[in-house]
Amino acid sequence: MSFAWWAVGIAALCLFLVAYYPTVSKTPALTQFMEEAPEWVKAFVGESAEDYTSPAGFLNGELFFMMAPMLFIIFTVSRGSAAVAGEEGKGTLDLLLANPIPRWRVVLEKAAAMAVSSICLGAVLWSALAAGAAAFGMDIGLGNLAAACLSCLLLGLFFGALALALGSLTGRRGQAVGIAAAFAVATFFLYSLSEVVRGLKPWSRLSPFYYYLAAEPLKRGLNGIHTLVLLASALALTALSAYLFERRDILV
Amino acid sequence: MEKVAILTRGLTKYYGRNRGVEDLDLRVERGEVFGFLGPNGAGKTTTIRLLLDLIRPTRGKAEVLGMDARVRGVEIRKRLGYLPGDLALYDNLTGEELLRYLAGLRGGADWGYVRYLAERLQCDLTLRIKSLSRGNKQKIGIVQAFMHRPELLIMDEPTNGLDPLMQHEFHRLVRETSEAGATFFISSHNLPEVERMCDRVGIIREGRLVAVDEVEALKRKALRRLEIHFASPVPPGDFAAIPGVKDLRVEDRTLTCSLTGSVDALIKAAARFEVLNVVSPEVGLEEIFMHYYREGSGGEGGGADA
Repeated sequence: MSFAWWAVGIAALCLFLVAYYPTVSKTPALTQFMEEAPEWVKAFVGESAEDYTSPAGFLNGELFFMMAPMLFIIFTVSRGSAAVAGEEGKGTLDLLLANPIPRWRVVLEKAAAMAVSSICLGAVLWSALAAGAAAFGMDIGLGNLAAACLSCLLLGLFFGALALALGSLTGRRGQAVGIAAAFAVATFFLYSLSEVVRGLKPWSRLSPFYYYLAAEPLKRGLNGIHTLVLLASALALTALSAYLFERRDILV
Repeated sequence: MEKVAILTRGLTKYYGRNRGVEDLDLRVERGEVFGFLGPNGAGKTTTIRLLLDLIRPTRGKAEVLGMDARVRGVEIRKRLGYLPGDLALYDNLTGEELLRYLAGLRGGADWGYVRYLAERLQCDLTLRIKSLSRGNKQKIGIVQAFMHRPELLIMDEPTNGLDPLMQHEFHRLVRETSEAGATFFISSHNLPEVERMCDRVGIIREGRLVAVDEVEALKRKALRRLEIHFASPVPPGDFAAIPGVKDLRVEDRTLTCSLTGSVDALIKAAARFEVLNVVSPEVGLEEIFMHYYREGSGGEGGGADA
């Protein structure tokens, strides 16, 4: 039910953005404006500020730099925190764990459910953009589009797994959401500011957003290493969740 | 097959600086209906959640169906039915959807039996759980504990929220299931209920087991309050020496006292005078516990060394 609303919302957003593109592409003054903007403005519009009017630049700036990852992270963090800590807060975990299932399996199956729903949402994102591009004559490679959508959903899964791990450790959903969200905001700023603040540059690799955006998947396709870093850390956090959850008392 | 259903040795759980339960030595035989009696906050739920491996002991050990609760939880839970004390269900499912989901996690249940249970408890499984009253939610909780015909049922305050008629239906269900071979471990803060349902009773107070006894013995030893109204004033001396009589007060034509054991001697002593009325006000649970507590710490009576 709630997934259906997410899918409708994301599809509508994509179609709206793509429909708006022809207007932008016919306004070269925008490119000029962006070229003259100060560095710190560019940092917050995304690395693609200079070619804002190209299809990839437009989608990067309007969607993939901030909007899409934000939506995916909200989706996954809410599911990841609900999986263990949410049920624990509602009190249904006692009933669930009275079944002959080991705790680690409960965590892994819930993580798998979160991954499957995120992948579906990623597929919605890709199809809506592909359909919109075809309808409004936006020239963008479908393979690169898929690379960007996949990177975005992996970034979401990383933060979802982080929320799952925090919930498995503390049993408190509020804490899991709060800490995961704060970490997402902090690492987003770390990555985007590192583009302009020279001192931050060496630290940008600590941000999950670096592995999502730095290789420009929308323009250059999937970067194997960056993709692997996101995937492996999401899996590691999931395994950690199972380990942490096995060891502690279930809250009343 | 193991003869012992539940065995704990020195089972202890501290929460931070609070004590949950301390040095609990429990032994529940197979086939019996064991009542776990205590006031709220005494440690009943803590003990039950330790048996389910939902929480882990600070020290000590618990064995369920002959297996270590910490190590072989999955095997134990296969053969176990559990009703949580603070029952929470998935509110957006119907009763039937919830039971099918839970049965699925166990590899299925006999659906004819589920319908039979639901019918006996007059429980409508087609309604969304969020629309149900507390008592009706509790019935679904009871059905899910019974539905896979477990060997051992651990139930935390099972009659919570049930109306008196349903409570009696539940007592009958427990009796019948027990006669078919199942073992029950049932917590309660209601002595009359435990007396009706159980073979043996363990009494827990402030985290410690203060007594374990047969229900019959408990009834014999149970504390009663008695008030006898006479037609004319009576001499207190005639009653003071009767065994089991405590807190004796004779005011004018009324005698009040507490009594343990048989009422026979007291009634016979009273019968020598003209008796207008005999009243036995119900004794509060806390008083019964105080009574046991005194006995337990005094070293006499009681089953466990507290």
